[in-house]
Amino acid sequence: MHRLAPADRPLALLILALAVIALLVLVGPVLIVLLTSFTTSQALRFPPPGLTLRWYAELFDPVRSAQIHKAAGNSLLVAFCTAVLSTAMATGAALAIARSRAGWARLAEGAFLAPLVLPGIAFGLAALMFFSWLRQPPSFALLVMGHAMIAAPFALRTVGASAAGLDPALLESSASLGASPWRTFRRVVLPLIMPGVASGGFLAFISSLDNVPVSLFLSSAETDMLPIRLWGMMETSLDVRVAAASGVLVAVAFLLLLLMDRAVGLVRRMAG
Amino acid sequence: MARPLQNSAHMLDRTDTPAALAPAAPAGHRLDMDGIRVRYGQATAVDGVTLSVEPGEILALLGPSGCGKTTLLRTVAGFIRPEAGRVLVDGAPIGHLPPGKRGVGIVFQSYALFPHMSAAENVAYGLEARGRPKAEVIRRVEAALAAVRMEGFAARRPRALSGGQQQRVALARALAIEPAILLLDEPFAALDRALRLDLQLEIKRIQRRFGVTAVLVTHDQDEAMSMADRMAVMRGGRVEQVDAPATVYDSPATPFVAGFVGTSNRLHGRVEAREGADYRVRLDVGASVILASPRGFAVGERVLLCARPEHLALRDATAETPESWPARLRISLPLGPALVHDVEAGATELKLHEARHGQPPAPGPVRVALLPTARPALFPAGDDA
Repeated sequence: MHRLAPADRPLALLILALAVIALLVLVGPVLIVLLTSFTTSQALRFPPPGLTLRWYAELFDPVRSAQIHKAAGNSLLVAFCTAVLSTAMATGAALAIARSRAGWARLAEGAFLAPLVLPGIAFGLAALMFFSWLRQPPSFALLVMGHAMIAAPFALRTVGASAAGLDPALLESSASLGASPWRTFRRVVLPLIMPGVASGGFLAFISSLDNVPVSLFLSSAETDMLPIRLWGMMETSLDVRVAAASGVLVAVAFLLLLLMDRAVGLVRRMAG
Repeated sequence: MARPLQNSAHMLDRTDTPAALAPAAPAGHRLDMDGIRVRYGQATAVDGVTLSVEPGEILALLGPSGCGKTTLLRTVAGFIRPEAGRVLVDGAPIGHLPPGKRGVGIVFQSYALFPHMSAAENVAYGLEARGRPKAEVIRRVEAALAAVRMEGFAARRPRALSGGQQQRVALARALAIEPAILLLDEPFAALDRALRLDLQLEIKRIQRRFGVTAVLVTHDQDEAMSMADRMAVMRGGRVEQVDAPATVYDSPATPFVAGFVGTSNRLHGRVEAREGADYRVRLDVGASVILASPRGFAVGERVLLCARPEHLALRDATAETPESWPARLRISLPLGPALVHDVEAGATELKLHEARHGQPPAPGPVRVALLPTARPALFPAGDDA
């Protein structure tokens, strides 16, 4: 590492201080929730008077937490379907956009990315009104569609980055060797953009898993979603299982992230 | 397809190939480009090009960037649909066929090897896409890699290969599908100069062995000279000259060709008199020379003389003759057995190329003479662009 000139030291200290603050703000709450989830008290309180695994045991109890389990199952299923649907849509869109220099491509990219800046609550409300105008009752399929709209931009970003690095000569080469467009996609394009597709799917999965605003409007009694259920529990009882569930979610997300990094890193090596 | 060579283990084995693959012509296929015109928006990239490539021949498309050579190649490959004109293989139009059904193999400038596949998988790709039986694919991949002497690298990914090795794999991949026409798009541009000549020889050797008709796109005149049987010099979407490389060099059709292929000293002058089949030309640098030309000129017409460096010779400053002119030698560079002189005659800069005898001469006043045996090209001055 190269040494800083003495004059640069105040700046370096400032940057270090900002980094520490950012880390505290990001990681601090997570640590607080994790600690709280081990509390011996009957309600959410920090700092915990003592530590126990009791709330995790209760959370995993199939009878006492049946509704949480159902909501979690729904959430996972919706997240999975959302990841598949939004990644498929985003892959098609990203490939078309990457290949075209036309103005409509830029426009389409903007439209696809719009949900990123659109307030989720506004989109949720709009989706609910739109679907009821079409006389569609809330359903699992509509919920997935709503989530996929919100999640697609993440996948579009990651797949787009991979697709931009794709040498057009590879596609021409494949075509001239006699491959059909579908074969070219399956044998050349997809393997090469796989890192982007995989990380896009991962981001879409996570964004669906903790989505509140869209679920708020589009879920029903049958499709009770985990974040909504946890919010309901918080409001009514300050149930410590909410903290335990948060702890589980944080752990799952962290594990998935590690897994994805390994997998995508692996895919990237295989691709190169 | 290609000439069957029984004696070579390196040849792709085609003794048991289906009838569809059997040689249709004994020595390769004929390629015709007939009145091809391609336009990008307002700009005309290829402007009515008609060219023929004889069976088994290498034709080089030579020209500066933007001359339309790559566009023409891509039109033959089927990536570009021309606004007008036809592409024919053995007299049959192929314009309606997609790239994969044209019987055209391409080596791209970037090689375009699939980075996630091994060398063998790359070569197998076209055969698998064509639905060949597995055993045949394996055998042909081995044969194609052997033909480019890459059999030891079958399992390597492109990234683990050098530029020259990647190019050989790309060539093997293009040849494995037994194309009627082989298209080479600046195949040496990404390689070190030192490596180029070896690979040029090698590709030419393989092309000869396969008897495949080839089109080489290049902006490098040396490459076109060494590789091509004939070269088409292009400018602004048009072909200025198609001839054997030596003919293009010795008898350029236009001042542009004279300047683009080889070095050319441009001397302006006026036709003084006609003497039989020859013209007496008064050069602006102050000399009077007698020249033969296949073109007709009127007495008094302004002309442009394009003299090769070896057409000119240095003379002693005191040896005044009508056919030499005064100049100043700026520097002489000994290049092995040759000398390159950098000379200025007024505002005109000249390059001379002579055999070296002893030490290079010192800079100073000299005279430059046109060698009596030289046949420099003579153009109407209006051709000067």
